[in-house]
Amino acid sequence: MVIEIKDKIAENSIELNSIYVPQVATITKIKDLTPTEKQFFIKIDNPHLRQAFNFLPGQFVELTVFGVGEAPFSIPSSPNNKEYFELCVRNIGSVSGALHRMEAGSKVGIRGPFGKGYFPYDKMKGSNVVIVAGGLGMAPVRSLLLQMLEDRQSYKDLTLIYGCIDPGNILYKDEIEDLRKRNDIDVKLTVDKPDDSWKDAVGVCTNLIPQLKYSPEDTFIVVCGPPVMYKFVIIELNEKKYLPEKIFLSLERRMECGVGKCNHCHIGDKLSCIDGPVFSLWEIKNLKEAI
Amino acid sequence: MLYKVFEKEGLKNLLAGIISNYEMFGPRKVDKVAYDFVAINEPEQIDLNYKKTTLPPAKKLLFPSYESLVNFNFGEKIEIAPVIESRQRVLFGISPWDLNGMNFLDRIFSTDFIDGNYIAKRKKLIVIGYDTEPSDSNFALSMGAEYATGGYDLFISDLGKKYFVRVATPAGNSILESFAGAVDAGTEDFASYNKFMENYRKKFKVKVDLNQFHDNFEAVYSDNELWEKLSKSCFSCGSCNLVCPTCFCFNVRDDMLINLKEGVKSREWDSCMIPEYGLVAGGHNFRPVNSNRLKQRYRCKLKTFVDKFETYSCVGCGRCVDACLAKINIYEDINSIKKEVNV
Repeated sequence: MVIEIKDKIAENSIELNSIYVPQVATITKIKDLTPTEKQFFIKIDNPHLRQAFNFLPGQFVELTVFGVGEAPFSIPSSPNNKEYFELCVRNIGSVSGALHRMEAGSKVGIRGPFGKGYFPYDKMKGSNVVIVAGGLGMAPVRSLLLQMLEDRQSYKDLTLIYGCIDPGNILYKDEIEDLRKRNDIDVKLTVDKPDDSWKDAVGVCTNLIPQLKYSPEDTFIVVCGPPVMYKFVIIELNEKKYLPEKIFLSLERRMECGVGKCNHCHIGDKLSCIDGPVFSLWEIKNLKEAI
Repeated sequence: MLYKVFEKEGLKNLLAGIISNYEMFGPRKVDKVAYDFVAINEPEQIDLNYKKTTLPPAKKLLFPSYESLVNFNFGEKIEIAPVIESRQRVLFGISPWDLNGMNFLDRIFSTDFIDGNYIAKRKKLIVIGYDTEPSDSNFALSMGAEYATGGYDLFISDLGKKYFVRVATPAGNSILESFAGAVDAGTEDFASYNKFMENYRKKFKVKVDLNQFHDNFEAVYSDNELWEKLSKSCFSCGSCNLVCPTCFCFNVRDDMLINLKEGVKSREWDSCMIPEYGLVAGGHNFRPVNSNRLKQRYRCKLKTFVDKFETYSCVGCGRCVDACLAKINIYEDINSIKKEVNV
């Protein structure tokens, strides 16, 4: 067990800095999405760093509310937008709660983007793509969805299956209504608890998978939702013989550092923050606690 | 690597030389039974007869239980300054297994992202190892950690009449040359060193059979009954994590100082044995029960890093065995797990 870090660092003459230093950013706009979720528009203050902030769909940032804490959030906006990025935050913990109390113009700290595992929009070109999102799982996949729609001709059929508890929980409702008017994407919605005006499916999003008609060879599946959802979605996908190497899942875990040091997000020998957060089903097949 | 020897009287000069030129930490008897690595001002304070310290020395210096990472100043503009240590320090008398533990931490903090807060301290630390006596619960020999192949500047072995020194770095060599006056080791010195190591290895009484263990781990992974049996006495106190030379889990926190003008981002140790470890906002817990957490700890020590770094992340120091209030014993559990597979 010989580790010559002294040499390793001296050779590369790396100037030591802290990987925990956030960049100052401004919340430029805040929009209510549902009673519990808000959309934050965030602009990194330093223009050079703003230009250098390139992310891939599925990656996340660590956001610091100064004096309160830091938490990971995936980026739901289009990677092609260089001026600002968005976050979709549910008011549920100490950091997200503090964020919900902030107003436009407030300063926050941003580290990232992080995660080597992203939704492979490049490999998916030329294939059908089915996105299965549950609840807040819509946020990470929206980035992929927007990127694909901006480059629509590169993909075959696109399908979005989106399940929520009730119609009031649906995120980005207006955008989804707009998507339904398009004829180049199939949007299937389902809720557990419908109201009187609900016309779409009722039940969990798993129920809509048997309807899929795409052949396993040229179809990619993307799954993101609450932990309990994955197990049942995967059973249905296996039933339809979709290929594990073409099924991509974003796995949420507790993350403290975002850079593979604090070890909280481990899944077997993988770390969700640096090896993920997006994994192919093939990669995690033998990691018993992944799903 | 250079191999040198120096006379017995040389040690005192070496220690005096280091103390007058550096900030030095070494093992000292702090009460009737306990030893600890503390700042040393006189050569006589050093006691190399220690068998165990509660905290692993390298971790105490390089990765303390709480440390500031970044300072903030909230004026008109937000000023951000990383906390990068620049003090040169010497750690004297660290055991081979604790050295291997430090090497593991080095690897964690320099893989993928380089953790400047840790690495700056590490680069400034001169490490002098010594073959200390193993305690009754030490199984470093079985873990392959009774000998350190690197990570030190100097490693001193007591051959009785002389000290045999492995010199790994120019910094180590210059300390040795300046204060102890060593000469190159001859063939007869290597012969007595071999004899010394042969006897040294005989001092490790606890033997653990780890052959194929990391493969076997897979076989019992879903055996909930076994894990419940092994973990049923666990209080989830986290003592095993606190004393471990290779445990590195931490939480990142942000605090505002009482003047409301300054803030600090810091890290503090976390423990994979306490219930909050896997808890996320919204109330979902990825590791809700004892059995799940103990399995995770053993996986982390005995399998995860075999797959990742080709090494165990347990060095066999035995601290967790001594610290556990519920008498959970990792080496006995390794044997129980193997027995389960071989039934």
